[in-house]
Amino acid sequence: MSNDSGSAGVKRRDFLKVLGAAGATASTVGCTSEKVGKLIPYLVHPDETVAGVSTYYATTCRECAASCGIIAETRDGRTTKLEGNPEHPLNRGALCARGQAAVQGLYNPDRFRGPMVKQNGAWRAVSWDDALTLLSQKLGEARSRGGAGNAIFLNQHETGSFPGFLDAWLGGFGMRPHLSVDFEADAAAIEANRRTYGVAWPRLSFADAKLIVSFGADFLETWGMSVPQQLDFADARAKAEGAPRFVYIGPRRSLTGLNADQWIACKPGTELVIANALRGSGSVADAARQSGVAEATLARLQQELAAAKPALVLAGARGANALDLALAVAALNQTGGAVGTTIRPAEGSTAFEGIARFGEVADAVERMRAGQVPIAFVRGVNPAYVLPASAKFADAFAKVPFKVSFSLYPDETTELCDLVLPDLHSLESWGDAEAGRGTVSLQQPAMDPVFAGTRATADVLIQLAQKDPANAARYPAKDYRGWLMGRFPGGTAAFTATLQKGIGAGAVAPRTAAASAAPTARAVPAIDQTSGDFYLVAYPSPVLGGDGRGANKPWLQELPDPVSKVLWSSWVEIHPETANRLGIERGDIVEVATAAGKVRAPAYLYLGIRPDTLGVALGQGHGAAAKLDDYDGKHNDNVPTQWGYGRYARNIGVRAQDLLGVGTDGAGGFALVSTKATLTKTGDHDTLVSTEGSARQHGRGIAQALLVTELGATREAPGAENANALAPQGSKNQESGSGASHGEGAGGKGEGNRGEHHEDIPGEPPNEFRPGLRSPVAADAQGVLGAPTAENHGKDKGLYATNHWAGMANRRWAMTIDLARCTGCSACVTACYAENNIPTVGAPWQNATVFAVAKPGFNITRGREMNWLRLERYFEGADDGKFTEDFESRFVPMLCQHCGNAPCEPVCPVYATYHAPDGLNVQVYNRCVGTRYCSNNCPYKVRYFNWFGYGEEDRKQYAFPEPLNWQLNPDVTVRTKGVMEKCTFCVQRIREAETRAKSEGRTLVADEFTTACSQACPSRAIVFGDAADPTWTVSKQVEDRRAYHVFEELNTYTAVVYLKKVNHPGPATPAGA
Amino acid sequence: MTQRSKWTAIPGLLALAIGAVVLSAYSGASSSQGFGPEQPVQFPHPRHAGAVKDGGLGLNCLYCHNAGNKSFDVGMPAVNTCMGCHTSVRGSTDRARTEIGKLVRFADARRPVPWIRIHKVPEYVHFPHVRHVNAGVTCQTCHGQVQKMDRVYQYSSLNMGWCVNCHVNGYDPKEGQKAAGYDNVPPANYAGGAPYGTPGTVAGIATTGAGMTPPGMGLPRDTARSTSTATPSAERRRARYDCASCHY
Repeated sequence: MSNDSGSAGVKRRDFLKVLGAAGATASTVGCTSEKVGKLIPYLVHPDETVAGVSTYYATTCRECAASCGIIAETRDGRTTKLEGNPEHPLNRGALCARGQAAVQGLYNPDRFRGPMVKQNGAWRAVSWDDALTLLSQKLGEARSRGGAGNAIFLNQHETGSFPGFLDAWLGGFGMRPHLSVDFEADAAAIEANRRTYGVAWPRLSFADAKLIVSFGADFLETWGMSVPQQLDFADARAKAEGAPRFVYIGPRRSLTGLNADQWIACKPGTELVIANALRGSGSVADAARQSGVAEATLARLQQELAAAKPALVLAGARGANALDLALAVAALNQTGGAVGTTIRPAEGSTAFEGIARFGEVADAVERMRAGQVPIAFVRGVNPAYVLPASAKFADAFAKVPFKVSFSLYPDETTELCDLVLPDLHSLESWGDAEAGRGTVSLQQPAMDPVFAGTRATADVLIQLAQKDPANAARYPAKDYRGWLMGRFPGGTAAFTATLQKGIGAGAVAPRTAAASAAPTARAVPAIDQTSGDFYLVAYPSPVLGGDGRGANKPWLQELPDPVSKVLWSSWVEIHPETANRLGIERGDIVEVATAAGKVRAPAYLYLGIRPDTLGVALGQGHGAAAKLDDYDGKHNDNVPTQWGYGRYARNIGVRAQDLLGVGTDGAGGFALVSTKATLTKTGDHDTLVSTEGSARQHGRGIAQALLVTELGATREAPGAENANALAPQGSKNQESGSGASHGEGAGGKGEGNRGEHHEDIPGEPPNEFRPGLRSPVAADAQGVLGAPTAENHGKDKGLYATNHWAGMANRRWAMTIDLARCTGCSACVTACYAENNIPTVGAPWQNATVFAVAKPGFNITRGREMNWLRLERYFEGADDGKFTEDFESRFVPMLCQHCGNAPCEPVCPVYATYHAPDGLNVQVYNRCVGTRYCSNNCPYKVRYFNWFGYGEEDRKQYAFPEPLNWQLNPDVTVRTKGVMEKCTFCVQRIREAETRAKSEGRTLVADEFTTACSQACPSRAIVFGDAADPTWTVSKQVEDRRAYHVFEELNTYTAVVYLKKVNHPGPATPAGA
Repeated sequence: MTQRSKWTAIPGLLALAIGAVVLSAYSGASSSQGFGPEQPVQFPHPRHAGAVKDGGLGLNCLYCHNAGNKSFDVGMPAVNTCMGCHTSVRGSTDRARTEIGKLVRFADARRPVPWIRIHKVPEYVHFPHVRHVNAGVTCQTCHGQVQKMDRVYQYSSLNMGWCVNCHVNGYDPKEGQKAAGYDNVPPANYAGGAPYGTPGTVAGIATTGAGMTPPGMGLPRDTARSTSTATPSAERRRARYDCASCHY
């Protein structure tokens, strides 16, 4: 053989060469530090920080008018996560999805890098000096020509000192006070509140109500202050005794409506006649006829309302008669004794004081059209998008000679402006807000500006004034922070002390704007009954906001709408009965046309809408006019080449405003429900981008519920006297008539999860959770092999002896989810994205490289979404597709169940998923080779596969384009292509807490930390902790009588325990069964 | 044997070569152990952290890498930490003057020193310095005797097998002290690292016992020198080695 080697193809020397080359390759692909990185130290180390340890800044959320308190977690100079401030009186630690997503506004890749000016129709970057000189010159021109009084400043509505500061500044230049714009606010409700109770927004005490009736008021989503309202509502509904029944009246069941026990589906606009009938100023029979509701239903409601004192009745329908409705409802509340009990004007919020009504904005647009306006400013609002096409805003705006935008992002209005002076994000700048009367919530920068070329508008205004001889003397402070501190009661010391908590006593100087002229009435007539086949209900998207503000945040685009579960697109809600009649199927493209315009969107068949009504959400359809090109997701230039509203919003869905005329209700609010529409099937079909598998449980028992009467607790019939809903907690167990014994540790508990009380329902838990602690696999992982009676029991402890000093095996991390509290709001979903670096996968360019389909949400239609925690929504009843008001919805947050007996574990060929001794079902990314067997074997379908390199910046599917990647949680691995991932129970938080406890020389304290979903939950439905330690809240919760495991019959011994939803039947249903 | 059969060796050899590439890349055998690049400023650890008798200042590692006992990261000293001394200390040798001059230029230009990173574990490994330092593991156990390195290099492989080895077999404080190169040996009654925060201890090491103080750690250096050769009775301390302790 060796003799042949001389003539053989491969000589020994060549073979060595090959090996040498292989060795060289190997040294560059090894997973070590060949890629030379840099360690960049600080120049001057900030005193209060430690490298790698988070600093927490208390500040204020500015994503809506409510101004909740937030804690910004900042690591090494970058804000990574927002959580509610537990000490804040409004949100008490909770935070909604939109608040969570504020960091994606901060790190939005489309943010302006610096000021720009439009010259000859082309945008050009300029220096701040040039920009301010230009603006000073234009201000001077406007003033010298005497037209400054007609200048218009549209500012995003906010509470605090800034509105007053801005008015004073405008006044200094001879301009009129600004318009404080909030297109989402319910002007009719505010006006009625002011007339009736003297405040814009009283505190709504759901817990004191015997009955809650909502006329289209979506108080869990966009109506009022969703987080505080949701906290109160969930607390009220979770009461073991005296929990109020909830009736929702409206043509469409919103998320709030789905949380109601009863839906009364009236025709749009007829809420008023029902409200009048209920208070006796109209006949029930007449109201029933007009509203299309059964007379018996209304009569029963009237009786129930009369018996339930106090009740809480809310009005939020947005039709032409909205003000009349709100006033009628206020009268109902007054006669029902609600004022002072369920409606508390004295504890009211100031969040909605001073909002310019839609009519005032429309008047301002008309002044622009008339050519009276010499200069216009826009900050934080986007009228070119929000106003319906019929308002012809762009034409009017073009008549203004000089237009300035302070927007952070390219948007439809800024595109029309002449000068852009990009503002700082609220997480980068100073400010304050009113958290209630006499309470100031401070806003402080959590980090340095992401882009050095941006400046806080308040600082810019001060700089402009200081350049102006007439104004310079009024602004001695060098910036807005100095101005704020100078006016803060108690001065700098008090200001600094208040910053520690983010909240302090003190009043914000009220805005002393001259009362603006009443807006021109644009009252639309009651809905024309002849112009179309369908009523049209346009409603603000609970996720993106009615003004579409959230549309350029991928977390919000990727967050399924809580009702329809549709994402990355618009949809038209049609009742299945109607669709059946017209031959429309889910996903068929339909055209909705009104007198004002028409849109095309896929149909979504929805049980919760009247058959004669169509529903369309506001918030999508940004920049639809721009040409769709293949966006590579990497464009980072200073001057945007494409406008719209940024890369994640552009060309997605339709602009539902285009269907609406410019009409206002009696309070000057935008009448969203004001027209009829026609519906045409176009013949096109597109797969609806949705995460909804089946809306039915098919008998699987995923979301279980029971009647309140089955609880054994004595829920009094409405009207029962002296039923003390707020009885002391300790007496509750004795009062229950069931006489059931309690499991150990389930007795009266003073401590709850972060101060929230979770009441236990008397009785035996129907499911044994404890065995889950010692399930066969878990016991094996914990090293307790063999039967307890076996001779060698406990002796062969394998790797993980329970008395191992690390003590991992002594814990069993577990979670309870109370479905009686969960409202389906999906704040937990976004919190999970924020905490765990979950990539969003729905952007049009994130599809495959070969056979690419540049469709928003394409990956999701292929089942590639990555939502570790998803909110499933199931319907019960209405099975035959015929219209009925009588169906129920159940929301189930579904995440990895961390089974003690996990089906995923034995099928992994590489041991990448296994059971940790502390009860976690662990996924080791670096072991995973992506066989996906685990996902196939998971009965809960909670494992998600990285089909593309979402975490790799050189791929087009990269989910975190600079600077979105600044948000990534450094404690969590960014997963690579080809690995499986899933909920980890926030293992990084467990490890961090363990490390902290260890450093402090102690063991973990009960409830000392929690997961991101549980922390954010605005209804306090999720409780996390160590179920093996009786001092943790979760170990008491699992003993609850309502507890059950999903798919218990599979013997999975899950660590996630659900508590059954509680339904409150109406008085017609035999309640005393 | 025919010509044909000789040619068949080629695919086999190619497969072998590819297999070698794959194996060496993913076996964990590859490591940047020994990596010691030239830094933008040639910082002499021996001058700063070396023992006084060796001509050093005996600075504790945590003086500059001050997050080591508080954080997962160890932290690099800020430029103004360096300038705290080097505003006045400008070096006595040509080399020192050159290197301090570089530092001063960085400081004057308000620019951080772009140190080249030597030790790096992959992103899917979460290594908490705080747990190890507070458990009394000497820095040198993993990083080698940096106080004697003219140019710092990666002393250990940092491979997973290397980690697990210590977690399974346990850490012996005495060996750690020896690895640290301190010229003292723990006394007979030394029981291993005390919990962090225990009175009378620093980084898990009693400051009261004779000979138990590393250079610069609280006691005068004279008393820190011990000739005791007693063998510690401490049990080797094992740590959790569950995958999810580090991989998440």
